[in-house]
Amino acid sequence: MKLTVDVNICRGHGRCYSLAEGLLTYDEDGYVTPRGQAIDVPADQVDDARNAADSCPEGAIDLLED
Amino acid sequence: MTSPAEEQTEISQRVPTGCPVIHLDASAPLEAGAHWAKANELREASPAFFNSHAQGYWMFTRYDEVREMYQHPEIFSSESITPWEPDPVYRFVPTQIDPPDHAKYRQLISRWFAPNAINRITPEAHEIGRRLVADLASKGACDFVTDFAMRLPTEIFLTIIGVPNSDADLFVPWVEEFFAGFGGDLEQQAAMGAALGGIRGYWEDVLADRRQDPAPREDDFVSLLVNSTVDDEPLGDALILDILTVLVLAGLDTTRGQLGYLFRHLAENPADRQRLIAEPELIPTAVEESLRMYTIIFGDGRKVAQDTDFHGCPLSKGDMVYGLVSGANRDPRIYENPDEFVVDRKANNHLGFAGGPHRCLGAHLARRVMQVAVEEWLKVIPDFTIASETPLMERGGGAMMTLLSLPLTWEVAS
Repeated sequence: MKLTVDVNICRGHGRCYSLAEGLLTYDEDGYVTPRGQAIDVPADQVDDARNAADSCPEGAIDLLED
Repeated sequence: MTSPAEEQTEISQRVPTGCPVIHLDASAPLEAGAHWAKANELREASPAFFNSHAQGYWMFTRYDEVREMYQHPEIFSSESITPWEPDPVYRFVPTQIDPPDHAKYRQLISRWFAPNAINRITPEAHEIGRRLVADLASKGACDFVTDFAMRLPTEIFLTIIGVPNSDADLFVPWVEEFFAGFGGDLEQQAAMGAALGGIRGYWEDVLADRRQDPAPREDDFVSLLVNSTVDDEPLGDALILDILTVLVLAGLDTTRGQLGYLFRHLAENPADRQRLIAEPELIPTAVEESLRMYTIIFGDGRKVAQDTDFHGCPLSKGDMVYGLVSGANRDPRIYENPDEFVVDRKANNHLGFAGGPHRCLGAHLARRVMQVAVEEWLKVIPDFTIASETPLMERGGGAMMTLLSLPLTWEVAS
């Protein structure tokens, strides 16, 4: 699975990095990082990635299933 | 020049067949929970309404439409965010500034309320929480919304700004008096004005003091503002005072409101309480669930900036719209068991902090305050109940909602 955060839609709610701590972190302004690029989701973090995507109030996270 | 009545008729004639017209004034206090019940009813009856309250405005009741409203500031301007007041005389910064200018002010402030900044003051936040709980614990009873829920966010906010948290003695009554008048109670208008004057006067003194500093202060928000520029211009006193006042009015009463509903839930649901005591790692999830299910935002207003057809509603420039956040957050099209409080609900994209460019600036702080409150309270007062013979009442949905009173009682450990 690959996860991508759309830079133009993300508003820094911070829901994703609190639910997928192993996968995502945040910058000084509270925006998720990395964003704007597809990142590989390890098998054991697929649930976290789904929760992060489902919890984004902006719908800014895309998941691409393998 | 048309009279207000004629204008209203004119708007009503534009309402297409199939878009129900209602007359809903949600400003009166109601029994606790009544606003969410009303929002549920409206959402399931229709995705859109025309509300003939005040000058008339469109209402959108479901999640997707409310989010779309938030995400399109080029159509839905924040010039007015109060649907019954299309032309406000005030202009809060950055709340009522539209993109692209909005980002310049927002960036200036948002880092101060970002997770790293919140982490910096979290140990102090816990200390404050522990002290406030300890002060109450031996009493065996309190009115939670006035004695604890207002005090905690105020002290933590003052800490993060960089002024003495003991000045909560001043801010708590100011904020209480401001919001007593904000709902439109005419008898409270003088006290409301005085409270606003008090808040502004406080920041004037801090500002004058910081302007005297030879160098910027560390961890001091007013000092940061004094030393910042927007478009290469330093911020004037009036703008700095506006920003500080908006933060006080937007951040303290709101967190109090959310805390009140969360603790009402915990008082009435011992199993959820026990679960959070046994599994404190679920506290953040429970906080998000309370922001979803017990949102204090009945609805949020925007002003139409360009003629648009929005889901079958012919919106004209200058019209007001109202996104029913209370409807969106319990929309069964989005959430399984939307009226059930699921302590460990993982998929939760609630709009309790709004969305789009005006997403609540203080969201990270508010969450932390709520987490601290639950953790420190449950450690000392694990069992408590509501001590009220009469139903709890909540403030009307014209402003942010809050329980007007939450009398709690518990056994004092001997």
